[in-house]
This record gives sequence, structure tokens and C-alpha cells, in this order.
Amino acid sequence: MSVRALTVSLLLAVPLALAAQAPKSPAPESFRANGQITGVAGGAASEMVFKIDKYTADADHDALVKALKDGGNAAFLAALKKAPKVGALTVGQRSIDIRWARTRPEGSDHRRVAFVTDQPAYFAGAGAADAKPTAGYDLAVVEFTIDSVGLGSGTMAPAAKVKPGGPTGVEVDDYSGKRITLTTVTRSLAK
Amino acid sequence: MAILAAALVVASAGAAPQSKKKGGAETFNGKARVQTGTAVADASFTIQIDQYTPEKDLKAMESALQSGGSAAFVAALKKAPVAGHFKTGDKTFAIRWARQRETPKGRVISIVTDAPVYFVGAGIPGAQSKAGFDVAVAQMTIDTAGIGDGSMALAAKVKPGGEGGVEIQDYATEPVKLVSIMRVIS
Repeated sequence: MSVRALTVSLLLAVPLALAAQAPKSPAPESFRANGQITGVAGGAASEMVFKIDKYTADADHDALVKALKDGGNAAFLAALKKAPKVGALTVGQRSIDIRWARTRPEGSDHRRVAFVTDQPAYFAGAGAADAKPTAGYDLAVVEFTIDSVGLGSGTMAPAAKVKPGGPTGVEVDDYSGKRITLTTVTRSLAK
Repeated sequence: MAILAAALVVASAGAAPQSKKKGGAETFNGKARVQTGTAVADASFTIQIDQYTPEKDLKAMESALQSGGSAAFVAALKKAPVAGHFKTGDKTFAIRWARQRETPKGRVISIVTDAPVYFVGAGIPGAQSKAGFDVAVAQMTIDTAGIGDGSMALAAKVKPGGEGGVEIQDYATEPVKLVSIMRVIS
């Protein structure tokens, strides 16, 4: 199983390059998502709920970016765990905290949402007898685009590490080397 | 982790003797499926049986299990001749236990591989250790037309105990179902 470096345009570089979030925060808000991942022999699908109580303030965001640039993944993870909880990702009976979440307008009627949890959600492929160690993949990274109606799609790195590097300054390494596709994301009507 | 009834597979002790029909090699295709409240996963598989394990080899493995437990059973299994292969995706696993019993409606076929195929649930952070789950165990019910279904412990521990004298401890908490099994017509 190979580790694939995902460019940060996936996530963290979005607010890096475009520091300003949406002028009026839509939070609190929640989304239902269907995630799918396929392999050589078959595939898996799961339902998830993303609940975002508030989006990360610029000051907290800047602190995380600085930690990553100065100290790499370990410093980023430490800073992330100290950041206030801003939401939760729920899969089945399991819920993990979101501690970084940003959103920004995209085009005339779309919005991009990205968030990071302080624990991994799932190690895709770890059930193989010869699976590599899971150590070091300590968070999950989710990104999706949603339209003004509340429908969208995106991707998820369910167990990842971040590190400085790459053309945008940040890379996301996913444990499985293959992202989960969020085929449908639906914004819940009730906040 | 689930304890499967010994009747699932290995417990030939006390069960009807293996079918005397020799038959040639045979192959089955199907899908393995596991489902929880919010997730579902499936994978295609092929079971190729070159020969069913002779009664004396089955008894040797059962004897090893009863006298030496799981470790002795795995050791005996690994020494047994290859009876076929279980294939999924780009991975192939040796079957060293293959047994069939005739039923009024067809056959019940059970197999044991000499290595675990997949640890269902191991991707969840904090999952239990994989240690000791050294084999995979499957049972299929095949009708006279060659169509059937079944169940499988993709990573299992075979232990003495239970009513039938054999227990299959499954690593997974949810059972894996084998569906849409079809005997390949050659």
C-alpha cells in the first residue's frame, strides 16, 4: 500500500491562499454524506454526518498554519488538539471531534467546506494481513463543495498526516493512498 | 468478535462423513458481503477446489485441534496438502481443508485457508489485535444446480470447545455473508 501525497489545494491551502472565509458564517450547520471507496476486488460504502457548530476563526487558523510550517505534522497535531472543538464527524456509533473547519464561497452559488478532525476516522486497508502500521496517521481530512441548494460532493482522507511541502506548502498523506469519495453530501435543513 | 457455531465448518467430528463422490476440480464464484447499520462492503471471490481433503487428513487435523488446541491445528493445517485456492482481488490464499457433505438439496462445502484473508473491522482506530486469527473459514450451501450461498470468517481462530467440540472465533463482529455463489461450468 502506498502513501500518496495529496496537494493541499485539497484543504489547508484553500484558506492559506484565500484567507477570508464567507462573510456571513452559515454555522451551525450539518451535512449527511455517503462515502465510497473501491479496490481491485470490490468496494465499501458508509454514511456519515458532519456537524459544524462554528467555523474556525482566523486567529486560530493562523496559529495552526504557523504550527505546521514551523514544526511539521507533530506541531500541527499538538496545536490542533489544543484548538477548540468546532464540530463532530459521526460514523455509526462513533463520533470524533472536528477542531479546524473553514468555508469559503466558490463561484456564484457554491461553497467549499473543509475540516480536520483530531483523530483518524478509519484506516482503509488496515484489515489486510500485510497492512502497514497505522502509527502517525492521527487525523482525518474532509473537503467538499456544496451548492446553494445544499447538495454537493467531495473527498475524504480518513486517516492522514499533514506536512509542509509541495507546490502549495502543505501536503496531506493519506494512509490508504486512496481517498474516499463523498458521492453525495446533503446539507440538513434543520440546524 | 463472534463465536460461530462449530457446525459452521470444521466440526466434522460427529457429523456425517464426507461425500464419497470424487468428482474433479471445481470452481465457484461469488460475492462476500458485510453490512453494519451505516456501512456495507462487498468483494468478489473465487474458490477453486482441486481436490477435497482425504478423510485421514481431516481426522489428523481434528486430532491436532483436540489435543493441542488452536496452535496445533494451525500447524497441522499448514502441513496438509493444498486442496485449492481462495482468490479475491489480486490476492490468493491456499486452501488446506476442503470438505463436502451431501444434503437432500445438494451439498455443504467447507474450506479453511492457511492464512487470514482480511480482518474486518481492523481499520477502526483502537481495533483488537490480529494475533491468533491465523486462518479463514467458509461454508457454502450449494444446490444441485450449482447455485448457493454461505458465510465466512475472513480471519478466524479455531478452538476446541462448544457442543460440537469445535468453535470458530471470528475476528469480525459482523458476519460476512457469501452471496450469489455459482459453480463455474467448465
